[in-house]
Amino acid sequence: MADRLIDYRGLKCPYPILKLSATYPNFKEGEIVEVLGDCPTFEKDIKAWCSKLGKTILNLEKHGNTIKVTIRI
Amino acid sequence: MIDNQYHCPEGGFLECKNFFCEHGQRLSEILHLCSDIIEKIGKGDTSPKIDLKVERYAVQRLIDSINKLREEIESLIDLNHGLAIGICEHFEVLRKLQKGNFSVKASEDSPIEIVRMLGALINKQRDRFIEYIDRIKTQHKDILELYEQQNMILSSVGVAIIVVEEDMTIEFANDEFEMLTGYSKREIEGKMKWTEFFTEEMLDKMIEYHKLRRISPSLAPRQYSSKIKDRSGQIKEVLMNVAMIPYTKKSIASIIDMTERKKIEEQLIHSQKMESLGVLSGKIAHEFNNVLTSILGFATLLESKAEDETLKGYTVRIIESCQRAKSFVKNLLTFSRKEEIGEIKRLNLKEYLANFQGFIEPLVGSDIKVMLKLPEKEIFYKIEPTHLEVILMNLITNARDAMPDGGEITLSLKEISLDTEYHFTHPLIKPGLYVMLCVTDTGKGMDEETKSRIFEPFFTTKPKGKGTGLGLSTVFGLIKQYGGHIHVYSEVGKGTTFKIYLPQTEKDFSSIDRESLKGKEVLLVVDDETNTRQYIASLLRDYGYEVYEATNGNEALEIYEKIKDRVSLCLVDLVMPGMTGLELMKKLRQISPSIKTILMSGYPVQFKDIVSIEKTLSGDEILYKLREILNEKE
Repeated sequence: MADRLIDYRGLKCPYPILKLSATYPNFKEGEIVEVLGDCPTFEKDIKAWCSKLGKTILNLEKHGNTIKVTIRI
Repeated sequence: MIDNQYHCPEGGFLECKNFFCEHGQRLSEILHLCSDIIEKIGKGDTSPKIDLKVERYAVQRLIDSINKLREEIESLIDLNHGLAIGICEHFEVLRKLQKGNFSVKASEDSPIEIVRMLGALINKQRDRFIEYIDRIKTQHKDILELYEQQNMILSSVGVAIIVVEEDMTIEFANDEFEMLTGYSKREIEGKMKWTEFFTEEMLDKMIEYHKLRRISPSLAPRQYSSKIKDRSGQIKEVLMNVAMIPYTKKSIASIIDMTERKKIEEQLIHSQKMESLGVLSGKIAHEFNNVLTSILGFATLLESKAEDETLKGYTVRIIESCQRAKSFVKNLLTFSRKEEIGEIKRLNLKEYLANFQGFIEPLVGSDIKVMLKLPEKEIFYKIEPTHLEVILMNLITNARDAMPDGGEITLSLKEISLDTEYHFTHPLIKPGLYVMLCVTDTGKGMDEETKSRIFEPFFTTKPKGKGTGLGLSTVFGLIKQYGGHIHVYSEVGKGTTFKIYLPQTEKDFSSIDRESLKGKEVLLVVDDETNTRQYIASLLRDYGYEVYEATNGNEALEIYEKIKDRVSLCLVDLVMPGMTGLELMKKLRQISPSIKTILMSGYPVQFKDIVSIEKTLSGDEILYKLREILNEKE
């Protein structure tokens, strides 16, 4: 069960990761966040973001165009 | 495939009305495909590519243009994503740096040059920050050490010191100021103004100085005399020395109690006077002795040769007078410390005084009661027995003569340790262990004038023919010969006390039962110097103590918290990095107000209510002192 859900559907990359970078410092460390996106490069971007910032991807699901990524902050 | 040889009868696709024309349908399919691809590219999906070859040039050109557009947009999207990831990454690093986490580092491996350069710039800035922080930390540590050193200097300088604010509030007062005024630091610092400590008559002048000094330090005298009043209202003459503290409106004042100084000066003058008298009387006695020897020699010869009885009688009287004169000379030589010491014996003073009491009781008369105050333990002292007898007999005789109507003579004995504090007020007495003999009477006492002259040879208050005036000067000379001191306290109508201090040059540990130095108590030894700490700890362990060791104040407090119910005493080094010995002792007292502590130092120090020992003392001396403190009642 995620602590928080962020919906970035409809936003073109790389807006989702820029917005996530600006927002997540307000979250608690260790919080679990679900991020939704539907941009074709969202998966690539969010994976690169997690790798560079040292965040763990707990799960990644695809439902049609929508991708749901579960991250531990 | 579209046949480019075909010629449309309708005049071309744009003019064609034939909806079912196979050429038109083919072209539509290609155009739909192109539109789909352009839409995908527009959404950011640059993966699909049109992989078609057509013969019609215009259509092929459209396909090629779309493919080229796809490639260019793909590279723009890659750049855009690279920049975004780089910004996110560096943003994260800056955010952590801002929170004070200097362990993070920005990456410098981005394929985009500006992102790479930004990473390098952040890292350089981070390194510079770390350098500044390290420098500030070092400076902060230096400042703290300097502050501690200054506080230590101000606390141990041995002169009362206060630091005052512009509004005259005392910001800091040292231990000596507490002692001088009788107020505690807690009552003084930040609460009392310096004006509360000085007499009314001095205030106007001093307040003016206070103000003038803050306009320009040269406008007020740096040194002046004043009068301070302590808690009990007693007024003391003091010498003020005031200076401004640079870059502040605060001033620092050292206050020297001149009352004590004057007493010390008087002691020194008296001692010098006695010294000159000793030299003078020694010389006179020596010369006089030579003359007497020849008179006595020839008189003896004359006596043996004279046949006339009258002449013989005269010579006998000459000889008798010469012998009386010899006795004077002997006393004078004793006063001037020129008499040789005979056989020194190790006397049990307690036993000696008990016997002496029985010996003098018949001599002083029944209306004078002789009392003894002796310690429980035996006290031994090496002295020539006749010297001790002369000293005591003279003092007892004087005491008896001071009580023609009867009274009490008290003889007391004890072993005392005179610390540096006593040395400050009695500079002629070195700190150390002494045997103190007291002879107190309840007689008529002496006035100041008499008191200042009693040790001078031939000074007497007794009627003519009753005293030679050499008794007390002989006592004085004998005590000096043993490196001791004699003090007299007297009040007219109340009585007189003579206190004799005989130094124990080295504690006679051979006479001490070594078992008495042993103990089973739990002790905490705190010293940053490993060798010293280990030496003291192992010495104490050898004598049965359970010893815990700490290398600094914080460690000591940690250990003490755990074993405080078992610890009987803490030995604390005065000078340690970080928390000083005095600070540690304060903190230990906050935890356990009744805790016993001994301050160890490399040189003689003295603090109010603090027992201190020098680390240079022998093991026996340390054990002895420790046992003394442990044996004291709470």
